[in-house]
Amino acid sequence: MNPMNTTEPAIEIVGLTKLFGEELAVDNLSLSIERGSTFGLIGPNGAGKSTMIKMLMGILTPTSGSMRILGNDVELQPLQVKQRVGYVPDSHYMDRWMSVSEVIGYTRNAFAVWNEELCSNMLELFELNPKKKVKQLSKGMLVKLSLVLAVSHEPKVLLLDEPMAGLDPLAREEFLDGVLRNVCDREQTVIFSTHSLDDVQRLADTVGILYGGRMLVNSKVDELLATTKRIRATLANGQPPKQVPETTIWQEVQGREWLLTVSDFSNETLEQIKSEEGVDHVEVIDLGLEDLFKDYVRGRKVVS
Amino acid sequence: MKINPRSHIPIYLQIAEGIREAVAAGVYLIDEPLPSLRALALEIQVNPNTVQRAYDELAREGLIYSKRGRGLFVAEQGEESAQSVAQQTIAEQAVQNAFQEGIRAGRAAGMTLKQLRSLFSASLDESTKQETKA
Repeated sequence: MNPMNTTEPAIEIVGLTKLFGEELAVDNLSLSIERGSTFGLIGPNGAGKSTMIKMLMGILTPTSGSMRILGNDVELQPLQVKQRVGYVPDSHYMDRWMSVSEVIGYTRNAFAVWNEELCSNMLELFELNPKKKVKQLSKGMLVKLSLVLAVSHEPKVLLLDEPMAGLDPLAREEFLDGVLRNVCDREQTVIFSTHSLDDVQRLADTVGILYGGRMLVNSKVDELLATTKRIRATLANGQPPKQVPETTIWQEVQGREWLLTVSDFSNETLEQIKSEEGVDHVEVIDLGLEDLFKDYVRGRKVVS
Repeated sequence: MKINPRSHIPIYLQIAEGIREAVAAGVYLIDEPLPSLRALALEIQVNPNTVQRAYDELAREGLIYSKRGRGLFVAEQGEESAQSVAQQTIAEQAVQNAFQEGIRAGRAAGMTLKQLRSLFSASLDESTKQETKA
């Protein structure tokens, strides 16, 4: 494969599996992420988000499957991959006794390219004093420094592992600003994992829902909101029809009230439900990302 | 412009609505430039691709036009059409707020949604009767 081919995806994962002993952390996962997109990865704790990101960074070795970043095989061409990817880990291993400028100097040595101007602009934006010692930095400052280190070698792909977890609202906003500046100015592809659906709405254009090591959803955020709908109906005898739409991702019956959430909603779906015996007062409800996420996880059904 | 990430309304539609309101209110006049993708994305803290989508939507409606390499501008008919759309959505919002108030009152009185629905259709029937009489 030609790595200069710009139409190929930024990230291409095929049949990725990771076993920790007997435990299946990532289960035959395939995923393609377009260049220039910002991919928000969500999923409950233990879904495999961090394991997936660590395998992309070559920190964990997959049990099977393959991963390419910008055409480079993660396992066969680890050096090329490292030069072209920026990474903000979920914990920051920096020598507590080093100063900010020493940490930067140390990191700079590992890369062929280093954009001094970008680096100092980011330090300024984040009000990070280069003379300060790592041990003097707050959690927010540390994460911001980690972002400076991750972007200064001008990577084409940025991997952020729950970067905004535990940040106060102001630090979170400043970090988001830093990432958005890079997205705007450098057309980076960004993959970030998070528990905050607000972050996905703001930062991402594409969303992936990971559950039990499998990707339940991989869709443009807008399309997902437009095509996943909840339907509320009354059941004359409290029994849902035998035939539910194939695209049902979750359903619940409480007394005579029937709730179901469907993907790929269309008028045909609605007509199908309306035409069932004993189904009345059918109503379509728009869902926010949070309800939608819960329904996918509760339904645990693979749709893509 | 306020963005609500919890809403079921996609962010790009919220942005498009925000720009429409701003144009209708005369914040941006005809042939004046709109904020760049970068400026707006950073201001409201939203992905620039999402802002792009909002601008595409407004260009499709004829509210804005682009000059190559110089950015986006308010179209001549922009102000007018933005005003009518904005007025319509404001009117719709007012009606919805009134409905919400009615629903709250009903729920507080222990009514079920079904009862509220039949009350609402009874009111609609009543209005239809009156309008046909007049």
